[in-house]
Amino acid sequence: MTVLILTCAEDVTADMVVQRLNADGVPVLRVDPADFPRTVGLAAVHTAGGPAGRITTDRRTTDLRDIRSIWVRRPGRPGLGAADQPAWTALESDHAWYGTLRALPGVRWMNHPDAHTACRYKMWQLSVAESVGFTVPATLLTTEPSAAERFAADHGPLVCKSVSGRAPDDPPLALPTTAVPADADFAGVAGSATCLQRRVDKRYDVRLTVVGDRMFCARTDETPAGLDDLDWRYADPEAVRWRAGEVPPDIATKVTAFMDRARLAYGAFDFAVTGDGTWSFLECNASGQFGFFELVAGLPVSEAIADWLGAPRERDR
Amino acid sequence: MPFALTYARSPIPEPVTSYAYDPDQQLNVLADGSPAVLDVAMLLAAGSTTSTAGSKTHFDD
Repeated sequence: MTVLILTCAEDVTADMVVQRLNADGVPVLRVDPADFPRTVGLAAVHTAGGPAGRITTDRRTTDLRDIRSIWVRRPGRPGLGAADQPAWTALESDHAWYGTLRALPGVRWMNHPDAHTACRYKMWQLSVAESVGFTVPATLLTTEPSAAERFAADHGPLVCKSVSGRAPDDPPLALPTTAVPADADFAGVAGSATCLQRRVDKRYDVRLTVVGDRMFCARTDETPAGLDDLDWRYADPEAVRWRAGEVPPDIATKVTAFMDRARLAYGAFDFAVTGDGTWSFLECNASGQFGFFELVAGLPVSEAIADWLGAPRERDR
Repeated sequence: MPFALTYARSPIPEPVTSYAYDPDQQLNVLADGSPAVLDVAMLLAAGSTTSTAGSKTHFDD
């Protein structure tokens, strides 16, 4: 039984899991859907028991019914780069590829595309977080400058962050979570949907990575006074040190409830922890990076992912 | 200009890596053919496992 890994070639973090699966003797097919149909082939026949057929690369062929699990890591979009009717070709490719994989019976997903897509929507995941009992900072999504001004008066100081989590790409820019000055002019809010959030006076950051029912907690040292970068992803690596941390039982319970509600098998949670020990939920990244935390904090995340992916399908147990 | 872009900055450059993808092993390998993941010091120095690596094509996670 094969583990199908959907990711790009340069994803060296995925290598950590491939290496582990290789050591465990679990067959792996690693494919970037962006290469479909250029160098990756699919032949799928509809049958009463689900699709039958194969995925073929220039090195391997895997029977669709031999797939036990699918890891959606960092895949490109199917059908990119077609010379004729590129948008239509990409849509046709996407439907053929993911339509077939979605129809495979009994396959375990990390994560299912529907769950992954839902979790990308900030307001949706904040609602789920609130519903399971997390402390969630006051948050506003708006295109109305007056609403932003009122929110700043009621909840400031604020931070501004991307609504989607995606950085602008034309031209490429980085968009870290950034403190909003008290005298900010909110007129530009009318130009695009804007996410404003009450700034958490954090003592330290937590990245909690969840694989199935296993949790791996990394935390920073206490935030140095005067550190300009609120967003550790963009801070000077020398200024932010990570180490293994503990998860309070009540937080673990809420994390489990979130994973169940969001139908996630993998999630990377970001919390800001305040001086009184409150863990404020910032976000859950359904495909959050884990390699860095494994390397610097000694957290065996890749082993847990390999174990989860390599487990038998429900119907084969 | 959209308000959020007030706070945009230049992107972090993509990591310069000393490995290449080997489709036979389905792994990135160093020049000597060994898996790149075995060289932890190199991975940390390259920054290719961080949350901003791959931002050009994927989310910062």
